[in-house]
Amino acid sequence: MKIVAVTACPTGIAHTYMAAEQLEKTARQLGHQIKVETQGAMGIENELSAVDIQGADLAIFAADIAVQNRERFADLKIVEVAVQDAIKNPAALFSRLAE
Amino acid sequence: MKKHLFKVKQYLLSGVSYAIPFVACGGILIAVAIALAPMGLEGPDFSQSPFLKMLMDIGSSAFSLLVPVLAGYIAFGMADRPGLVPGFVGGAIANQIGAGFLGGLVAGLLAGAVVMLIKKVKVPIYFKPVMPILVIPVVASLVVGFVMFRFLGVPIRELMTSMSAWLQVMGTGNRVVLAAVLGAMIAFDMGGPVNKAAFFFSAAMIKEGNFAPMGACAAAICVPPLGMGLATLLGRHLWTQQEREAGYASLAMGMIGITEGAIPFAAAEPLRVIPVIMSGSMLAAVIAMLGGVGDHAPHGGPIVLPVVDNRLAYVLAITAGALAVALLANAIRKWRGAKI
Repeated sequence: MKIVAVTACPTGIAHTYMAAEQLEKTARQLGHQIKVETQGAMGIENELSAVDIQGADLAIFAADIAVQNRERFADLKIVEVAVQDAIKNPAALFSRLAE
Repeated sequence: MKKHLFKVKQYLLSGVSYAIPFVACGGILIAVAIALAPMGLEGPDFSQSPFLKMLMDIGSSAFSLLVPVLAGYIAFGMADRPGLVPGFVGGAIANQIGAGFLGGLVAGLLAGAVVMLIKKVKVPIYFKPVMPILVIPVVASLVVGFVMFRFLGVPIRELMTSMSAWLQVMGTGNRVVLAAVLGAMIAFDMGGPVNKAAFFFSAAMIKEGNFAPMGACAAAICVPPLGMGLATLLGRHLWTQQEREAGYASLAMGMIGITEGAIPFAAAEPLRVIPVIMSGSMLAAVIAMLGGVGDHAPHGGPIVLPVVDNRLAYVLAITAGALAVALLANAIRKWRGAKI
């Protein structure tokens, strides 16, 4: 599967990036393609392009706060979870996607 | 229902997330200015040092943006970009009325809800571009401003005046009850109007030569941030890393008597955190009152220790209050888990 993801936590200095790392690692293990955008205290990093989003099968939002520029994902199926879910148990999250 | 609560929590946290750097900026600059200035009868004395006064003013400016930014980004979290204008306007009005941080929460949620409703209105395609730049900012700000000025401002102001009138009567009555009430008010909205009502009453009593109410307040002021910070230290596994980071900032603000340090915790879980910090501040205020603590400066926290009478009782009161908050907060966490 081709996946795009956005991570965002309230402070935006640690959890945002930990969640991104976990998503990338787990996706690679399971043989998915993934690109993760982080919306942290420094602003948006590794920004998803229109091409990335168009080519994706679905989007994951691992966010405890509102995701910025949400309208970009209007045509995509979005799975929304808390940041903790992506950090603590990314495998369970991905098995839910398969359903 | 649970899904709904998760959403509301997400909205509130969005606002908090953007407001945190403002708290840090204002809190640290004000603290440095207060710590370096000599403590006089009227509080920190800046007459000798224009530079410290300027630090104080820069910090105060950052603090005055706190409530508008909080409200603006709560509305942003709910309704995206169109939420910003009515949110900021509502927050600024909350500041102006003196409705403080609770007023900002309400204004932000209200602004977000109004914009969400307006966005649902179907408009002809040629009218669409006008909506976000003209119609929504004006109409939503009008609605939010009207509600804040007409319906929320007046009750809050009345609450304030009736509260201070009640306090004046009670000042001659039972001292323990007075201390408990002051402590509860100080913690209730963490620097908001109820907190300020208790604070100004006590500061006015200093001028009357009665230092006991301010002594009780001074102990109560630092208990919410110290207690919540201590909770994250004592029960590290119970708190997320971001909460532990907020805990350090909270401890630092508690040391210099800035109750606002507990706001990140209270904004995320108001129904749990506010009763806990209120009981801790009440305990601290009552111990300070019974221990004969008097505070000669209108400021609180360990930083005013040099101008306090009966220092041992003061330290004891703060320690007991902060410990009570930390243990209670952790017990609730353990019992109910982190999610609302």
